[in-house]
Amino acid sequence: MELLKSEKLWFLTNKEPIKPQLIDHLFRHHYGKMVSVLTRIFGLSHLEIIEDAIQDTFIKATISWKNTPPEYPEAWLTQAAKNRVLDIFRKLKAERKRIPHIQSGMEAIAIHDLFLDSEIEDSQLRMIFTACHPELAPQDRIAFALKTVSGFSIKEIASALLTKEDTIKKRLTRARAVIKSKAIVFQIPQGNALPERLESVMEVLYLIFNEGFHSNKKDILIRKELCAEAMRLCKMLFKNKETTTTAAYALFALMCFHAARIDSKTSIDNELLDLRHQDRSLWYFPLVKIGDDAMHKAVDNESYSCYHYEAAIAAEHLKARTFEETNWQAILKWYRLLYDLQPIPIHLLNMAVVELQDGRHSESYTLLQQLQPESLGQRAYLYYGTLTEYYIQRKDFPKAIEHIDKAISLVTNQLEKKYLEKKRLSLLI
Amino acid sequence: MKEFMMIFSGADYTDLGLSPEEMQSRMGKWFAWGDKMEKSGVLRGGNALTPSIRRVIGPNRTVTDLTSAEVKEIVGGYYLVSARDFDHVQEIAQDFPDYDLNGTVEIREIMVFDQ
Repeated sequence: MELLKSEKLWFLTNKEPIKPQLIDHLFRHHYGKMVSVLTRIFGLSHLEIIEDAIQDTFIKATISWKNTPPEYPEAWLTQAAKNRVLDIFRKLKAERKRIPHIQSGMEAIAIHDLFLDSEIEDSQLRMIFTACHPELAPQDRIAFALKTVSGFSIKEIASALLTKEDTIKKRLTRARAVIKSKAIVFQIPQGNALPERLESVMEVLYLIFNEGFHSNKKDILIRKELCAEAMRLCKMLFKNKETTTTAAYALFALMCFHAARIDSKTSIDNELLDLRHQDRSLWYFPLVKIGDDAMHKAVDNESYSCYHYEAAIAAEHLKARTFEETNWQAILKWYRLLYDLQPIPIHLLNMAVVELQDGRHSESYTLLQQLQPESLGQRAYLYYGTLTEYYIQRKDFPKAIEHIDKAISLVTNQLEKKYLEKKRLSLLI
Repeated sequence: MKEFMMIFSGADYTDLGLSPEEMQSRMGKWFAWGDKMEKSGVLRGGNALTPSIRRVIGPNRTVTDLTSAEVKEIVGGYYLVSARDFDHVQEIAQDFPDYDLNGTVEIREIMVFDQ
């Protein structure tokens, strides 16, 4: 009787009970992996069934792990996903849907092989290319990528993007509909199609990163998570020779350089700090080092992308130990090259800001005069903000206040609004 | 020391639409709680239950199969602990991870029959 009791309570007597250490985001990342693999097996048309099935494996895990935690949680989850393959077959059969032919043993082995690490990576890349397909609307791409590749829930996406859950639901539905109607194929594009498609992937990753980096969300954790997720997805590009391009390395470097500063961007009470007032001791230099390494690979050939120049600009800021030591001339040079490659108004505005930082008012003013504030869209407030700075330096305070009022009336980001209002107050004193 | 059962009920995880990240963070809390109870030597056993229900009721032994979605609250599992009294178990139950999901812990003493 005593023996029976002790057997039952093995976890009390075992000297070193198995305590699975769940790696951060294991579930979330695993979700993306398994959805990608199963989509490769069953096709994009069954995506919803697949997502539900994978969600089920996590539910099952939470129930069964409470009592017997597995020694290798990730292997457990993979096995659970494999087991779901048969369930999905049955379900599709019952619904009389088109199912892939798997009869011979060879094909069963092929399915088994799809769960190997390298094949999982390949499946995930396919999913990234699907999510970033140019047929999808840009906003839909971000939501779809965060859902299927990153394993975010609708609620989490809505919260990260400061959008309503219903909006995200609509975006996901629209994305799935487009994938169906345009018969988008689950693959990594080859040959001539690749560069353009890769361009689209990088753009989406860049946008996801910026959503995190420029968000006015109070919760710094969510901002960091979005940045980290964009970086993780970017790193996946380096798992495939064809998608390992110098531009991808430059994009990754750019993300590292920006991410290194994320803690210094806001004060403890979540007040936005400009570069002049950021505590540079908070910059995270291990990340700068990783970015540096990526940058070295990025300049392997002579063709530079806009990410190269943006990374170069970010690097110039990081090089300066103090704000006063910033090499504005170098930054201006990079901006000019960037503008040559990508002649969009925002770069012109940034050049005007740089000229102003370096005390060259008239050069700055000339640049500003080439700009139509309307062409900046939502960022028109930055134009008025820069003009404010111009008039401050010219000591024309009435004009400065006039322009900062315009900026305040146009800005939507609450943190930036507070920043501008504080600045306005300082002009009145 | 007496033996008590902590019975957990509430909504099933399936029906709450938890994200993978949320489920993982819940797992972490369950592990931590289990660990803590093991270390302090109060844990005597326990089980989690799957959400499928077969109910047999009445003189006709009417059988109904239910899913968690069809019942408001479902017993999700239990732990057996040895403790001094109800207050002691109540203290242990402070770390139950699912209060924020409106989960309930019901504490019951295991009946001991004296001869």
